[in-house]
Amino acid sequence: MKRLMKAAVATTAILAAAAFTAPHLLAQDSLYVPNLSYRTGPFAATGTPLMNGQKDYMTLLNERDGGINGVRIDYDECETGYNTERGMECYEATRANAVVTQPWSTGITLQVLPRTNVDQIPVLAPGYGFSPMADGRTFKWAFNPPSSYWDGASMLLNFVADGDLSSLEGKKIALLHLDAPYGREPIPLLEDYAREYGFTLLPIPVAVTEMQNQSAQWLQIRRESPDFVFMWGWGAMNAGAITEAVRTRYPMDQFFGIWWSGHDGDLAQAGEAASGYRAVSWNVPVPDAPIMGEIREHVIDAGLSSIGENEIDWVFYQRGITMSMMLAEAIRTAQEEFDETVVSPEQVRWGLENLDISEERLEELGMSGMIVPFQTSCANHTGHGGGWIIEWNGERFERVSDHLQADRDRITPLEEAEAAKYAEANAPWPMNDECEL
Amino acid sequence: MLYRVAGQYKTSYQADYALFPVRQDAFLLGIILIMAFVVLPATANDFVFRALLIPVLIYALAAMGLNILTGYAGQLSLGTGAFMGVGAYACFKLVTIFPEMNILVAVLLSGFFSATIGMAFGLPSLRIKGFYLAIATLAAQFFLVWLFQKWGWLYNYHTSGAILVPNIQMFGITVSGPTATAMAQYYFVLGVVALMTILAINVTRGRIGRIWKSVRDMDIAAELVGINLMKAKLMAFFVSSYIVGVSGALFVFMWRGAAEAELFDVQLSFRVLFIAIIGGLGSILGNYLGAILIVALPVLLNVVPRALGLPISSSMVEHLNTMTIGALIIFFLIVEPHGLARFWQIIREKLIIWPFPH
Repeated sequence: MKRLMKAAVATTAILAAAAFTAPHLLAQDSLYVPNLSYRTGPFAATGTPLMNGQKDYMTLLNERDGGINGVRIDYDECETGYNTERGMECYEATRANAVVTQPWSTGITLQVLPRTNVDQIPVLAPGYGFSPMADGRTFKWAFNPPSSYWDGASMLLNFVADGDLSSLEGKKIALLHLDAPYGREPIPLLEDYAREYGFTLLPIPVAVTEMQNQSAQWLQIRRESPDFVFMWGWGAMNAGAITEAVRTRYPMDQFFGIWWSGHDGDLAQAGEAASGYRAVSWNVPVPDAPIMGEIREHVIDAGLSSIGENEIDWVFYQRGITMSMMLAEAIRTAQEEFDETVVSPEQVRWGLENLDISEERLEELGMSGMIVPFQTSCANHTGHGGGWIIEWNGERFERVSDHLQADRDRITPLEEAEAAKYAEANAPWPMNDECEL
Repeated sequence: MLYRVAGQYKTSYQADYALFPVRQDAFLLGIILIMAFVVLPATANDFVFRALLIPVLIYALAAMGLNILTGYAGQLSLGTGAFMGVGAYACFKLVTIFPEMNILVAVLLSGFFSATIGMAFGLPSLRIKGFYLAIATLAAQFFLVWLFQKWGWLYNYHTSGAILVPNIQMFGITVSGPTATAMAQYYFVLGVVALMTILAINVTRGRIGRIWKSVRDMDIAAELVGINLMKAKLMAFFVSSYIVGVSGALFVFMWRGAAEAELFDVQLSFRVLFIAIIGGLGSILGNYLGAILIVALPVLLNVVPRALGLPISSSMVEHLNTMTIGALIIFFLIVEPHGLARFWQIIREKLIIWPFPH
């Protein structure tokens, strides 16, 4: 008993000492880039390829170029399991020396967002987070390039209507969505469209606990037989929906997903039967892009990657690569502007605000066609690069459309109104008054 | 040695009933209070405040609320998470409707909302017991979470469906919202938790606590000696849900800063129940010990490899963590099935009679 007690006391002492020295201690000439990853938990299947992509691109920069302009990237993951509680813990543990925070889950983003003004740290949430974050005057520290959910909804509508929204009159569109803030995101915009163009919007929520059992929802879809089904799904919900759609023989060419519902792993379960399913996406896998060859050479063949077999051409793996590219480009932009190699969070924020991912730049990076070109500004934190429609052919996703653009004239006022509402609810909310655009 | 009771004479019944019949207990508590009020705040950084101290206190408070119901009055409940949610949403509505209201008043008032709702869902306890009651409270859990999602008024029709905590000042210091410092929030939580603990200790030691214990141990016998079962059970639900509601308000306002309805799902109820069970049912101290094991230890285990510089990936740490905590829970429950509080009691008794074995 005595020895046990001694051991317990000693362990507690070590643990406590560790906790008090927790914040990452780092060498001066590197940039600490943490990522609140989720390789465990209910969403691990979707999280893992994304995290692999993000990590591998940063590893490539370190291995090939020795970092960005000679400064090594200290990429670090803090595991949250997509759990908001863990997310806050990771945010606190990593933020002290970090130049950016990548919160990943919508719940964590919601908690971190108001704190960023105080902690002065930029939030990078590529393709997620809530759409009004695009308004850089209100959300000085938050970025969600290259397209927001409202952009995605607008692109999907335009695509199914073949560019002529009035043709949707009298049609019925079902929105199969996760019953969480993320899934409810497109509803206000789609309702707005429905009122104007006279189609019926039918939101069908799927509870988080019921993701894998959607028979009730698909029964409803069968009864209502909507002309199109849009899906805002995540994790196990995607695979569940596609399996049910195959079973109820819902025509795949009327079934569309947002970019988080276009995951190879989900579709592979249904395989050939799901061919014809389409999703809107701001990135497309390009197997023969020069960058992929370099990643293969410097990272995968060197044994520095934890990627699984055949995953290199997955949409989500390559999306992870493009996400890290955005961050790396922001750091590079900041370094050049401020003529400093070890940039501060404030300078990275400037870099994210002045990102210019043009066709030419993508060509230089060896990433042509992998991601839509976009450009951010102090008023526009999304960049609104648009997207493509990708189609599942039974084995992999392929690009099947031209470059689509969202209906910005319609979305902008809605974004501004929602951002103003957020600022008002959180008064006193600091606005970025320096932005003149 | 340290716990020698020789020379401490009790000359009256009152002295024998005192809160600390052994002087060293009071001394030990004094040290813990000095640690909590002075030493820790002076040395802790934001991470320690926000990831360790504040959550441990809030979870311990929630477990204390549940422990009054389950450990003292013997009524099993699985609705704790939802009752915390009621407290949180009530506090949010109070703060947004009456912005000039003192946050302390709002937090303490919000407990009454969850107390009322908890009492309403406690009505089945008059007819059913044990596992059947647990199922009835589970209904509260699912119904209330559903209500938090569907009733837009509760979250002021915010598009994200979440409640966001505004900046709130108390006596010129921001205690809640994004600009609040961790230390201010810690002191606020510590104050409320200390107050609730004093209340709970005295309620459970006194007449009401004895009524609850008699209902727990054998309700028919309790009824025969003249205890009004309905009053006793509903009072247990009221007091328990009040404390749980206050902890829910603190949970969102002093720690999380934002909350979606899904936060208050059955997972949270189970977590609080585990804290209460592992800490020890029918004890106040146990809630703190349980919260330290369930809430703080995983956080500590997470930072150890990082601090030692071991090259283990973060997801691997997470897996190891789950295994370690699971093994520890099994270990403690095998060594002492009555929870950590009982474990401490045994250690204390051994120390008192030391160096003699019996």
